[in-house]
Amino acid sequence: MSRGGPTSCAEAMSSRSVAFAVLLLALAPSLTRAQASPPGAHEDVAFDVMNLLAHHGLHDLDDERWNAYGQTTYVSTWKLPFSAPYTNLNGSTNSLLPGAEHSFTWSATLYLGAKLWPGGEAYFSPELIAERPLSNLHGIGGAIQIYELQKGGSETPQIYRARLYLKQTIGLGGEPQRKTSDPLQLGTTVDSRRLVLVAGNFSVLDFLDKNGVTGDAHQTFFNMAFMTHAAWDFTADARGYSYGAVLELDWDDWAVRFAHVTPPKNPNQLPVDFRLWQYFGDQLELEHDHVLLGLPGAVRLLGYRNRVFTGSFDDAVSAFQADPAKNAAACTAYNYGSQNAEAPDLCWVRKDNVKVGIGVDLEQFVAKDIGLFFRAMYSDGQSEVDAFNTADRSMSFGAVAKGSLWGRPFDVTGIGLGLSWISSSHARYLALGGIDGFIGDGPCPEVVQGKDPSVCLARRQATEGVFEVFYSVNFFKAIWLAGDFQLLWNPAYNADRSGPVVVLGAKVHAEF
Amino acid sequence: MPSSRAPRGWALGALLLAFGARAQTPVQGFAAERFYPSPAGAGWLVMDSLDMHGRLGGALSFSAWYARDPLRVGGTAVVTDSAHGLIAGAVSWESWRFSFGFDFPLAVKGRSATIGGYAYPAPDLDLGSHPDTFADVRVGIDARLLGDAAGPFRLGLGAHLWIPSGPVEHYVSDGTYRAMLRLLFAGDASWLCYAGNVGVHVRPRNDGGVPGAPRGSELLLGAAVGARLPVGEAHRAVIGPELFGATPFDGFLHSDTTSAEALLSARIEGMGEGAQLRAKLGAGVGLGSSSGTPAWRLVLQVELFSGTGVAPKP
Repeated sequence: MSRGGPTSCAEAMSSRSVAFAVLLLALAPSLTRAQASPPGAHEDVAFDVMNLLAHHGLHDLDDERWNAYGQTTYVSTWKLPFSAPYTNLNGSTNSLLPGAEHSFTWSATLYLGAKLWPGGEAYFSPELIAERPLSNLHGIGGAIQIYELQKGGSETPQIYRARLYLKQTIGLGGEPQRKTSDPLQLGTTVDSRRLVLVAGNFSVLDFLDKNGVTGDAHQTFFNMAFMTHAAWDFTADARGYSYGAVLELDWDDWAVRFAHVTPPKNPNQLPVDFRLWQYFGDQLELEHDHVLLGLPGAVRLLGYRNRVFTGSFDDAVSAFQADPAKNAAACTAYNYGSQNAEAPDLCWVRKDNVKVGIGVDLEQFVAKDIGLFFRAMYSDGQSEVDAFNTADRSMSFGAVAKGSLWGRPFDVTGIGLGLSWISSSHARYLALGGIDGFIGDGPCPEVVQGKDPSVCLARRQATEGVFEVFYSVNFFKAIWLAGDFQLLWNPAYNADRSGPVVVLGAKVHAEF
Repeated sequence: MPSSRAPRGWALGALLLAFGARAQTPVQGFAAERFYPSPAGAGWLVMDSLDMHGRLGGALSFSAWYARDPLRVGGTAVVTDSAHGLIAGAVSWESWRFSFGFDFPLAVKGRSATIGGYAYPAPDLDLGSHPDTFADVRVGIDARLLGDAAGPFRLGLGAHLWIPSGPVEHYVSDGTYRAMLRLLFAGDASWLCYAGNVGVHVRPRNDGGVPGAPRGSELLLGAAVGARLPVGEAHRAVIGPELFGATPFDGFLHSDTTSAEALLSARIEGMGEGAQLRAKLGAGVGLGSSSGTPAWRLVLQVELFSGTGVAPKP
């Protein structure tokens, strides 16, 4: 169905409602959203400003010169208490606290697009976020309970520029393909064979690893483990955005994408290093779309290579063992704040390092509006997290369904399992009491007693996992109210503090 | 013996510290610039042409400007370089315009200085250190109350609000909400066009005697006049000066608190109906050396806007 087609709902709207929508649009920046979760497509019959204008003959959705969309989301999660034999041992600072905690995010985003010339488009997206993470965003590896949480966020709302980029599409023939009017996408018709160049400020997730089943995180899973590969350390600033370029070649059912983007100046911080010839993250993705038994699916292979200024786990341990004065408490360069004078620290050994990883992403619809997804990635795990989270290997899978079967096509429900692991050198570094950007419970008790960490590694190093199930109820084709249950185990890959940890959540999401 | 001199030394040190503390009262940053670009679609660089028309219309613009020494205090430039980008948009409906503007500082540099006992920190902001920062975000409503979109006299009102979002320490925000209420006028007569405004900048920050710092609400004044020249059949150029300034009610028209600036602006714009392109260039100088008055300024803007397709009335 064409988005521009009339519906009984839309026909009933008066010109006053158009004026109201225009007013909302104009005032939207005063609210303005957050984190690098890319927006999903708007439904053809959704209640939004662009549909409203089109239904009144004021806008052409099929050949847009401009569009404007927005969203706002409030997510609240409650972590129930869990027992842990130790927390932040010996001056470490990155444990998930065992007491009950509440965390939240509130975000608002405006997505503006304009056509500049044939094939040339510009996109601008201001965002707002306010947040309170669990345990100051410490203690969880790949299964952070809210996908929107940013590093360095605060409860005071912050407005910032999330995206500002140019996109040039060069047609190379093939069949005409319609691009529907959506956030960060002007309604237009393109060739099925085309070259697309994007340059500017954006999230890598806007263009790569776009799984059609997990889709827009605002509408599906709460946990970050399902937003993309937990082990994909894509270079970005502390909010998840980067500067750089993406080159995409679409050739009918095939697509290949390459992105070259900026890393942060220091790991997990907001300032960006623009020396793209020296420090960068490169990503290469190959995608094939298919139809299986009449239902769509896709396979993606994704590899990345970061050249960044980080610390290697083995280097940190070697430096500490060679000279115990090079401990976590003594380092005054950029560090994560550990006060453990008997632990190694990445702070002493940061230098140019290369980090690589490769992953696969599958999506397959098995019925109308019911899809399965699977992601797995293996990163080398030799150096610290630079931009995303601390997982070195990850896997997630599950199912997402819309409520068409039970007569509520705008409702969304899903169930998923996310697992992640760390490398042996990462685990050894943690067992000695080291911390990285997000995890580090302190040394193994055996290490405190003077024993070699290998004594405890077999017991302590574990798979971090999350099981999640959610249901999201739609109201007025524009507002979703969701309830969520998450069960985490072995947070920070530490079987000594296995939990499990129960997290209950609620979300209100609106699109306009 | 050092021990016999120690008490006197401590006393002297304490005295020096006390004087030092007084001599270096730290100054909190504030919005140094007093350059308030016109809303998207408003024609001029600073003034408003009040030519909203038709049913649904609008404009999207990208601006960039550079100001040299926009904050000089006692002859010392604290902010030496100020470069900004601005993405602005507007939606118009008949004679109403709803607008927004996202000002993102590209580079704000300067030097620290101690002036009159106040220590001004040096701004040091660039895209690397602040990759996604906005200075204050602006939203506004303007309405034409009298006159036609292309008539010889148009009168309107405007209300704009700045939402604090920029880092105060780099002189791009007061850290408070601010508002601007203005009476606007404009007109077109044959080859001549003009615009102006008088209004109040409602500014809660009043740092009293801190030189160069905000002193509460300000009176705003501005005027522009231009000559319209045809460029082919579909375009026209408008060239003319824009003068604008601000003076706080606390320290009204004092030379050290009043800013004034003159820009020679030129724009070329499409005259047809529907989406039109407009490019603007402005260059000017500060009239004086008070806070918020730059030594010179350069402004560039590109804009897509809804054209009237109506020629001005003779």
